[in-house]
Parts: sequence; structure tokens; C-alpha cells
Amino acid sequence: MRTRIFTFTLSIFLCAIARAELKWEQTAVELHPTAGDKEAVGHFKYQNTGSQPVRFKSVHTSCGCTVAQSQKEEVPPGEKGEITATFKIGDRTGTQVKNVTVETDDPVNATTVLTLKAVIPQELEINPTFVFWGQGEALKSKSIVVRASKDFPVKQLKVTSSSPDFQTKVEQTGNGQFKIDVQPRETTRAIAAKLVIQPEDSPKVFYATVSVTNAPATQ
Amino acid sequence: MAEIAKVKFAWRIMDLVVGGVFIYAGVVKAFQPVRFASDIDNYKILPWTISVGLAFYLPWLEILCGLALILRRLYLGGLSILTALVLIFSGVTIAAKVRGLDITCGCFGHASQNWSFSGHLALDLVILAALLALYFKVTSENRLQNAV
Amino acid sequence: MRQALVLAALALLPGIGQAIYFRDKVSWQSPIPASEMVTVAQARAWDGNVIWVDARPDVEFERDHVPDAVPLNEDRWNELLPQFLATWSPEKRVVVYCSSQSCNASREVARRLRGEAQLKDVFVLQGGWEEWLKSRK
Repeated sequence: MRTRIFTFTLSIFLCAIARAELKWEQTAVELHPTAGDKEAVGHFKYQNTGSQPVRFKSVHTSCGCTVAQSQKEEVPPGEKGEITATFKIGDRTGTQVKNVTVETDDPVNATTVLTLKAVIPQELEINPTFVFWGQGEALKSKSIVVRASKDFPVKQLKVTSSSPDFQTKVEQTGNGQFKIDVQPRETTRAIAAKLVIQPEDSPKVFYATVSVTNAPATQ
Repeated sequence: MAEIAKVKFAWRIMDLVVGGVFIYAGVVKAFQPVRFASDIDNYKILPWTISVGLAFYLPWLEILCGLALILRRLYLGGLSILTALVLIFSGVTIAAKVRGLDITCGCFGHASQNWSFSGHLALDLVILAALLALYFKVTSENRLQNAV
Repeated sequence: MRQALVLAALALLPGIGQAIYFRDKVSWQSPIPASEMVTVAQARAWDGNVIWVDARPDVEFERDHVPDAVPLNEDRWNELLPQFLATWSPEKRVVVYCSSQSCNASREVARRLRGEAQLKDVFVLQGGWEEWLKSRK
């Protein structure tokens, strides 16, 4: 009985780390694009360590923002190659994880999931990015807190409103921390504006939206 | 005789400690089953539906097996299940590391989310060693009793 | 072995009990919490109080979309968000959709609307665009 339990659990353990004939150098790649990058590209290298050619049936991604391509359709025994995954950063923020599912005719491991992790640097954290007043709401200012990341020190912040219907005031509240006080001129009609937030000495701009909505204020 | 009593006491303490660890681990996970389901899902081995089922089931299994050790009821069954669980958890954690997945184990709920991979594995191996020691001690006692 | 089976069977009872208790907090089909998902039928029942948000890439939105839906994707978030917010008001419910259940875009857009813009009543459409198409037939 003891031997059976031992053998059973050992076989589960061994199955968990078994390798396929199409051997991947790594199935997870972590990228650190810089602030201005539009794309992040991951390279997943493989080698056919089996004695039979391996054919790629499909390569598809978990998101329309990532495009994956295989260099070859068929990999002869002993040959190497790679799958390139290009992730379009757009206006995404934070850590993005995208999967590339590779299907082959390899009988041992027909499906492999490759993981592309991109850590997108976020120079400023703006909280919240949207502030609103209901119609008829008291004419009080509301605040937006801006925090600069440790890797991007910011000494001063410039805030411009796209509409004179909203007034803004910037105050530094700590090291790399700012408070933007916003107030509309009136709350009797629906108005909206885009706030352009720009760190001093940086070409990059960030945004927040402010508005007086159509609906009456709720309490 | 005093020596035998001391040894028996030491084994009993080990029962209580190992049982207590699993009851704690089970309770922590039972309080947050949705989070535990996400942790299981992160290993990318099982479909989401199975992860949810296991998230509701496994913590209670751990609690009952921990109690089995402490109360010495269904003792061998509890020991076998806990040993199998630790072996499976260790195996999938190593497999995930090999695959390059960056995950929190979820073993002790989010109490352990900041532990390193080697920290988790070390604890798993210590628990496994204790379970195996208890297992072999009980089975050799049973054999002796059967022989008498 | 018998003892192990007894324990395994006993553990089913509290497990099933807990699964019933948490049935509204978790979706067995997808990792999105049940309270954040809506079906097409539920969203339609909200009638004029819904803003449909299309989280798919621009080219898919242009091909076809839910009538009166507003595009909002992460490719052009900074440009599209103010346009979406101009249509939003607090009494409206936001339903975000993308292509089918496995696509993550609607979840990400919903997460950003709740977290960054701090909007309440933001939901993800169960089954996505495909489910909407089926309901149109």
C-alpha cells in the first residue's frame, strides 16, 4: 500500500515536469519597454529534439493587440527556430500579460501556451482620471491626486484645461506628489473639458476629464 | 518508561503542529475561495470551472485531515491525503517555476503572497518530511501490533 | 484507503454548502465575478439606461457594432475616453463587450473605468459580441 501511494504521487510529480519533443528555450518572456516605445517584441526560441518533423497547425494570441508569427511552418528534426510575438502597447498601463497558444502535430505536447509579460512604465499615476458634478450640485472644488513613480522624478506639474469653464490649481503635497483642485464656473448646464497634465521637462502628456453631467446631482 | 513517554509526547506534538498547520492553511483559503480559485487558475493547468470546484473543496479537505491528525480519528486516511496534497502542490509549483510563470502559490492564502519560490518549497519539504515521518511511524506501529 | 475516502466524502459537504453560499459572488464559467457580468437579456431590460462600450480594435468596431455603442479600447484610450465620458451620466449603466468570452479586452476596459475613472455600475457582457449577434437573430 505504501509503495503504491509513493509510486502514484511520484508519477504525478514527474508528469508535472515532463518535456515535449519541441523543446522551448523559455515559454515565458518578460519585457520592459521604455516610456516612448510603441511595441514590445518577445522571441520564443525552440528546437525540435525529436526524430520526427513538427508542423505548426496554428499560432494564435489572446488579444488583438498581440500578433504572433512563426518563422517556419514545419521544423525538421534538430532544427531551431523562433516565434515572434509583437505586442502593441497603445495606451495600456501597468503589467500586461498576453498569451500565445501554439498548436502543433507533436503527439507529446500538441498545445503550448507562451506567455508574454510586458511591464509598462507608468510615470504618473492619476487618481481619479474623471471628476464630475451633477447639475445643480454645490459649486465646490474636487481634487485629483497625481503621484510620480520613483523612476521618474517630477519637480513641477503643468495643468491646462481645454475649456475656460473649469479652473484648476496645482499644489505639491509631497515628494513627487501633487493635488489638482478643479472647479467648474457653474453647474447649471452640461459642460466638459479635458485636462492636459504635463510634468516639467517631459514631452509626455497625461489626461484627466472633468464634466458637469446632464443628470441632477445625487446624494 | 519515562523515555518512551517522552518520545510518545514528541510524536503527539508533531501531530498537533502538522494538523494545526493544515487547519490554518485550510481556514485562510476557506475565507477567500474566489481568490484561491484565481491562485489555482494562475498555474494554467486546469480549466476555470475545475479551479472553482477545487477552491471550494480543498480547504475543507485540509481542515478535516488536520483535525484527523489532532483527534487521532481516521488518522492514516488524513495522513495519506495530506501527503498526496503536499506532493502535488510541490510538483505543480516547481513545474510553474520551470515554465516561467510568476504566481503566488495560494497555499496559505494571501498571507504567503510575498514569500519567495524557494521559501515556499522549503516549507513544503519540511511539512512533507514531517508527514512521511508520522506515516512510517504509524505503519510500523501497526505492523508491530499485528505481529503481537 | 477507506479512511481517506471517508474524509474525502465528508469534505464535500461543507464544500458544496460554501459553493451554494457564494453562488452570486463567483461565476463558474469565467474568472469575472458574477456580479460584474450581465447577459444580453439583462442589459436589454435596462432599455434606455445603458451605454454600450465596444472594447474591440477600431477595425472590428467599424465593421459592425451594437447600435449606439461607443468605441473605447486600450489602443487609443486617451483619445477615446473623453468621448465616452461625454455620453456618460451617473444614472446610466455601462456594458462593455468584446469578441467572445475568452477575450480579455472588455474586462480590462471595465477594470480601468472602475479603477481610474471611478465609475459605478460598469458591467461586462457575458458571451461578448457573439452573444449579441445570436440575440439579434
